[in-house]
Amino acid sequence: MKQELAIQARSISKTFHISEDSHNTVKHRLFNLFNPPRRKKVEALKQMDFDIYKGECIGLLGRNGCGKSTLVRLLAGVYPCDTGNINIYGSTLLMNLGVGMSHQLTARENIYVSASVLGMKIKDIDNIFDKIVEFAELQDFVDTKIKYFSSGMVARLGFSIAVNAGADIMFLDEIFAVGDMKFQEKAIRVFESSWIAGKTVILVSHTMETIQKYCNRAAFMKNGSLVYFGETQKAIELYVQDNA
Amino acid sequence: MVKSVFVDWVKRSNKNERLWLLAKIEFKLRYYENKLGLLWALIKPLMDIAIYYVVFQVIMKQAIPAFASFLFIGLILWNFFLESTTGTVQILNTKKYLYEYSNMNKLEIYVSTLLSNTIGLFFNFIMFLLFLNILEKDAMHTSFYTLWIIPLFINLFILSLAVSLILSNIYIIAKDITQVWQVFTSFLFFLSPVIYRLSTFKEALPTFDYINPIAGIIINARRTTMESTNPDFKLFLFDFTYAIILLVIGLLLLNKLGSKAAEKL
Repeated sequence: MKQELAIQARSISKTFHISEDSHNTVKHRLFNLFNPPRRKKVEALKQMDFDIYKGECIGLLGRNGCGKSTLVRLLAGVYPCDTGNINIYGSTLLMNLGVGMSHQLTARENIYVSASVLGMKIKDIDNIFDKIVEFAELQDFVDTKIKYFSSGMVARLGFSIAVNAGADIMFLDEIFAVGDMKFQEKAIRVFESSWIAGKTVILVSHTMETIQKYCNRAAFMKNGSLVYFGETQKAIELYVQDNA
Repeated sequence: MVKSVFVDWVKRSNKNERLWLLAKIEFKLRYYENKLGLLWALIKPLMDIAIYYVVFQVIMKQAIPAFASFLFIGLILWNFFLESTTGTVQILNTKKYLYEYSNMNKLEIYVSTLLSNTIGLFFNFIMFLLFLNILEKDAMHTSFYTLWIIPLFINLFILSLAVSLILSNIYIIAKDITQVWQVFTSFLFFLSPVIYRLSTFKEALPTFDYINPIAGIIINARRTTMESTNPDFKLFLFDFTYAIILLVIGLLLLNKLGSKAAEKL
């Protein structure tokens, strides 16, 4: 049976041009016409190709600064790539410490906005609203602006929205670091239940156990290059060797 | 990009709901946080009218018939343009939370903000019609010609969206576009026939009703709502084309610069 594509990446790469002086005003640009800002090139991702299929759970491994987060942002459609192209088939959700929320809005408004951004209809959000609030343990703060929340409360709300609303393709960047121990256990339980069933997941984690347990394929990255993409066990071995 | 937005809209109706949801929340944030709430949306143009009335009608004796209504319709259209452009220069920064975690189309953020301003304009326009029909003695009352306000408003909406796209994308590479635009809009206000008699305006600044894209919209809105006549069709078509061209430039900028907003802002 032919598998359906979720993400197709062809010759993608990304370089950041970091300017050392701030030339981001009209005045600066005019006064420094003949003195262009010094720019540093940071090659965050070197050219790579790969396909990810619907329903797969892919682990992404590599040491800090190897380009995992940049790759995830590119694949989620948040950053544009410099070369090549990415075809994304479905809505995406990038989640590190929760989803994007406005601190000016109440928990209720954030739930509706975030779930709607993830592609849900209002009627469907109405149905899962109580579940989201209950899971985040925020029943008494539904109409409070989240700027008054503690960072743990915000993270719980973000996690809860992501868990209950979801998206076709989910990028989970170290998500098990959210909340206290009790909440973490709950998060793992949810992850083990049917949450990710039928969804495409790209999991970034430094915990080998997590990768081994949930991923059917894994990628190992080093210095912006995709060194290996295939069997989970082999990717883990490469990562462990790199850390040795 | 426009094609993809359209196809998405047809396929997945959740987009319309989302636009309306974002517009409602934006509207609520702007007005309901204040003590006087929605009243501010109505007080602001009324206060402006009072100020300009005293200066231009009482002190400078311009003797424009139905000057209060003349100002009213001019100001509410101008304020819509001003709020939709000045208020959105930093939109890609303030609404980053909407596109930083998902592949949501950025154009929706602009449209929802302008929709929220449209709610305010709608209330103001109802106030204008009440004022014109109940209190004004020197102007024609509402007729079928008033319906021309709908295409004129669509023109204003496209123009505001276009300018908003252009400014907010320039903001990514030049932050002080905010200050530059503030100065420019003061200039543009006095170069629009909001507070002057049309003949004086045309005499002093010939062809300016064509150069300034908001001038024609205000002129035609007055013709249709206060004088019960057709709009100046040549001016109307010219302004519509003007707005569409600016919109194309805005969309190109959104594709070119806006796609880098998440990493640059």
